Amino acid sequence: MSTSEAATVLPVYDVAPGQGEPSKAPGAAAPSAPPAAPAAATKTTARSFPMRLFHRSDRGSRCMAFLDFLLRIAAFGPLLAAAIATGTSDETLSVFTEFYQFRARFDDFPAFLFLLVASAVAAGYLVLSLPFSAVIVLRPQTTILRFLLLVSDTIVLALLTAAAAAATAIVALAHNGNERANWVPICMQFHGFCQRTSGAVVASFLSVFIFVLLVVLAAFAIRKR
Amino acid sequence: MSSANEATVIHVDNTTGKAPVTAQPPPAAAPTAPVQQQQRKSGGVPFLLRGGADGFRRCMAFVDLLLRIVAFGPTLAAAIATATSNETLSVFTEHFEFRARFDDFPTFTFFVAANAIAAGYLVLSLPFSVVGIIRPKATVVRLLLLIGDTVMVVLVTAAASAAAAIVYVAHEGNMRANWVPICMNFHGFCERTSGSVVASFLAVLVFILLVLLSACAIRRRPC
Repeated sequence: MSTSEAATVLPVYDVAPGQGEPSKAPGAAAPSAPPAAPAAATKTTARSFPMRLFHRSDRGSRCMAFLDFLLRIAAFGPLLAAAIATGTSDETLSVFTEFYQFRARFDDFPAFLFLLVASAVAAGYLVLSLPFSAVIVLRPQTTILRFLLLVSDTIVLALLTAAAAAATAIVALAHNGNERANWVPICMQFHGFCQRTSGAVVASFLSVFIFVLLVVLAAFAIRKR
Repeated sequence: MSSANEATVIHVDNTTGKAPVTAQPPPAAAPTAPVQQQQRKSGGVPFLLRGGADGFRRCMAFVDLLLRIVAFGPTLAAAIATATSNETLSVFTEHFEFRARFDDFPTFTFFVAANAIAAGYLVLSLPFSVVGIIRPKATVVRLLLLIGDTVMVVLVTAAASAAAAIVYVAHEGNMRANWVPICMNFHGFCERTSGSVVASFLAVLVFILLVLLSACAIRRRPC
């Protein structure tokens, strides 16, 4: 907005595409120290150092990226434990009759099979996403990588929650039974099987909580940058 | 800072997110006539299709609003359909009970409660979504919505999946545990609860899309 009298010329450098006429307000009149020009100049000229490592302004997002890395390592343990505990749950009672079957294994219940598979998939995903998280720690400017990790974290979170909840429903049914449907609580007989699967369910819910923290942390970190 | 001689209007389009140097910033509050006049000068772009980062965020927030309205239907329908599921068979004996209702199964009680909470949350988050449309720079609102949506994803997924497990046992039974499939007798109850579970999983998909949309809109640079 140049006036003809005072030499207050503000050269506007950011021009929208298609809006032409960048020389609308040229510095033809004596530019008496335009405040916008040096600021724009220093912002547009990149630093000569090619890779910004350990810049002071990155401290906050680097801290959050490191926390993200630690949370991933923390979530891997319970998931692996849940998968292994469910996969090795096999109990045979010492009573044998012709009509009643006295063995319980995880693949007799589709929900436990789902828990095993989903826990294994989530544990493998965590291992595969560790290098990406490490890259974000080293280079906190990358928001696209954080966004990709958030997308995949959300999907794996939904999968893991579904598996954990289905297994919880079956475990609750095994503990309490159902009067109306005449479903007997099998935990009365199969103690070890019930304990093992209940522990696996608790561990996978712990990992679900850590996944929620991961998603929220990624959102905070995206906002910060 | 309008000059007296010439009407030199510089259209500053805020592409990089920096504050324009001129003293005519497009007001971020509810757009009134001057903004529309300014935009009409630049080609009459509609409110939601403007370019730049803010226009992109506005478009995402509008899609977010639409998705919330879309997700409200399935969750409410699932809650109501399960809560009104009550079937009594016409055979009566002393030892066997022939009535099935949702509160005979604690899992279905949890399902009804979780879907009702999700439906209420969607209604309550509509104003926040509208604020996100009006003020595209307000990332705090989007962050709050993202946190709420993530919690809702977990809650509704858990409820729908637990109910799905019970519905599966009701349909197929379990040989090893001697659990008889009750759907052989209770047709209507089973159909109603199965349909509710499907609707709830649709709502879960929409919730996941909402999380991804909010994360995309929070970014400084448009994804």
